[in-house]
Amino acid sequence: MSAKIIGKDDIADLLDTLIKEYEVFAPVKRDNLVVFDRIHSGSEAFLNYTTSMKSPKEILLPQSETLFTYSSTDNAARVEVPSGEERPRLLFGIHPCDARALLFLDRIFNEEEYRDVYYLSRRDAMVVVTLGCIKPKATCFCTSVGGGPFSTEGSDLLLIDMGEEYVVQVVSDKGKGLLENRQFEDAGEDELSLMRKVTEDAEASMAPKLKIDMLKEKLDKMFDDPLWDLLTEKCLSCGVCTYLCPTCYCFDIVDETEDSGGERLRIWDSCQFPLFTLQASGENPRPTSKERYRQRIMHKFSYLVDSTGQIGCVGCGRCVTECPVNLDIRQVLTAISRS
Amino acid sequence: MPDLSSRIREVAEELFRQKEVELIIGFEEGSMPLHSTPCFIRNEQEVERLTWNSFCDNNLATYLVKRPEKVAIIAKGCDARAIVELIKEKQIPREQVVIVGLPCRGMVDRRRIEAELEAHEILEVDEQDDKLTLKGDGFTKALNRDEYLYPCCQACTHRNPGTYDILIGDMVAEKAADQYPDIAEFEAQPPEERWQYISDEVNKCIRCYACRNACPLCYCKECFVDKTRPQWIGKTTDTNDTFIFHIMRAFHLAGRCVECGACERACPMEVDIRKLNRKLAADVKELFGYEAGTSLDQAAPLATFRPDDPEDFMLGV
Amino acid sequence: METEAKDWEPKIVAFLCNWCSYAGADLAGVSRLQYPANVRVIRVPCSGRINPFFILACLQHGADGVLVSGCHPGDCHYISGNYSARRKFALLKRLLEYAGLEQGRVEFSWVSASEGGRFAELIAKVTEMVKALGPARKLVKK
Repeated sequence: MSAKIIGKDDIADLLDTLIKEYEVFAPVKRDNLVVFDRIHSGSEAFLNYTTSMKSPKEILLPQSETLFTYSSTDNAARVEVPSGEERPRLLFGIHPCDARALLFLDRIFNEEEYRDVYYLSRRDAMVVVTLGCIKPKATCFCTSVGGGPFSTEGSDLLLIDMGEEYVVQVVSDKGKGLLENRQFEDAGEDELSLMRKVTEDAEASMAPKLKIDMLKEKLDKMFDDPLWDLLTEKCLSCGVCTYLCPTCYCFDIVDETEDSGGERLRIWDSCQFPLFTLQASGENPRPTSKERYRQRIMHKFSYLVDSTGQIGCVGCGRCVTECPVNLDIRQVLTAISRS
Repeated sequence: MPDLSSRIREVAEELFRQKEVELIIGFEEGSMPLHSTPCFIRNEQEVERLTWNSFCDNNLATYLVKRPEKVAIIAKGCDARAIVELIKEKQIPREQVVIVGLPCRGMVDRRRIEAELEAHEILEVDEQDDKLTLKGDGFTKALNRDEYLYPCCQACTHRNPGTYDILIGDMVAEKAADQYPDIAEFEAQPPEERWQYISDEVNKCIRCYACRNACPLCYCKECFVDKTRPQWIGKTTDTNDTFIFHIMRAFHLAGRCVECGACERACPMEVDIRKLNRKLAADVKELFGYEAGTSLDQAAPLATFRPDDPEDFMLGV
Repeated sequence: METEAKDWEPKIVAFLCNWCSYAGADLAGVSRLQYPANVRVIRVPCSGRINPFFILACLQHGADGVLVSGCHPGDCHYISGNYSARRKFALLKRLLEYAGLEQGRVEFSWVSASEGGRFAELIAKVTEMVKALGPARKLVKK
């Protein structure tokens, strides 16, 4: 299917019809912040944003979810698993970096030896409509980690903002299916050439790529390097970077029991919390923010490359803008590569 | 903000030359406009990194806890009060800190500026006296810094460091003592509305604990949140648990919170945390005549008592 | 979840210090003084032992009202435990009510070992106050 045109005014209507078939999640504005949430009407979607505060990962991996509930009566114990999704999910209006992150999460939660049923109940039949980045921020560095403002990885349909309308690129059959039976005009040569200009301008406006070619090789030799002390001294181990990161996936499992019943929950955890590696003996192999921050970098840029073939970072820049002490991962990576 | 950077560097150089300290904690240029960042320097050659501007908002006192070496630290009014509390709580001996006090005219709220400029990304900032000139792609905007201060800075009545070893810059005019008008205004609302407001705010919380970690006075090795035997509150974003998390964290900071705003700035979800902290500060002042960090000698309010402490809240029959 | 049935009775948890208030309650018992049966007593060594979390945990798990009672100032078996408690409670009560908790759910008092009658009156008063407020809903963990 060739590229189509959708007028901006028609997006809300399109979403309204999609809401009938899918559980639609889209960016919404809450006070000053853009977050992702279920929408029940197309007009709730807020698409004129650069980066959302929370990443869309919480739609696949909520901050807390019930794995099962348990209860006991006199002679019997019962365990109940929550029922799966009834309708497939549509994730509308995420940026290409966040879509690439979904593919990364698939490598963790949907691979041969381990298939996470909770993740998959939401992911399997999910359709993803991405918004190309016509105005990348200075803090975006997707191009340094294998992505790009108009990357189609992880996407089914890519929308590119042309001002009054979007050019819609069909990326997959699922995306094609969304457009079938809807009357959208084909994109003409004028529109396509304007689109090419818009995308070229956007790509040219991105900050220069980080010089991190030999990063993994360097990291693998640097575990005990004193550079880590200097780089991580200001880190507060607050965990904001991990919570907002679209590829961070570590979780904890806790039980909350009341009287004769309760639930087992999966909640977000962070390698930046001291308790993450605290052992029952009281020993902690990562006692200070240095060891923990080093772990974050090593995990994302070395260990995950070994285990999944992918860097565990999509360059969205949330950790850069939200770190309370401005510990800039770009500076860290550059310093390591240069050392 | 007066340009005190060169004076700070002189003082730092002198401190190293006299071998007064092994480490100086201050601020340096951030990696993005509207940011400065904490900086740790250990010799004269590094003093050029130190800077001072309207974005030096972090409370550096958080880095003092249980430090082994003798350290000099750049301290605004609120930071100096936090240091006083840490000293009283024996987290660092007085002799181990050289407090380099800087009177503060308030720090600039970058989130507010960014929200106002919406989709226009700020790429450069120039600061001259009271004026901030912001530049981005195809726009320039001039702002008066005093109109864009953080809420905690707008309410601040301790801009000048009360305790210091070295003072850099002239003392600034202080506002009259805080009467907590915002608290009185909130209390005038019906209880249901207050409950709803706080519930709505804590519903934004994602339990990342950035507030706790950014706070200089939250230094417990085991936070109540992580206690499992018994478990006081659950770890999910359940409104009830999160409500209690915020209430109790505020309670644990009663008489200790210096309202530096580090918690609010660290919070990615912009939860109105200080709504609770300010209530406790107002009560501690009213009931016990104590303000956090204003005296190295006055005992902490919950570590002492007076036989005639107020009792009117109690139930008599 | 409790519904406001006509015969709903509040559940009130009372933390009583061992040396004064608990003894006072005991005296009320041996004196056969009548007081509402809504109260569940938890004995603690001193009112100063009370951790604010105890009070919150009660409200989270079904209590409609919480009472903490200790020795009169000057009479604490541990000298100053009740003084510490007084300061903590003042702040906690104000904070909880500021956050919207109904006035009357969390209360503090002094009851001495010889005040059996006073204890009975106190329980009656607290029960009446909490009954008028209805079941506690605000801090209940679902």
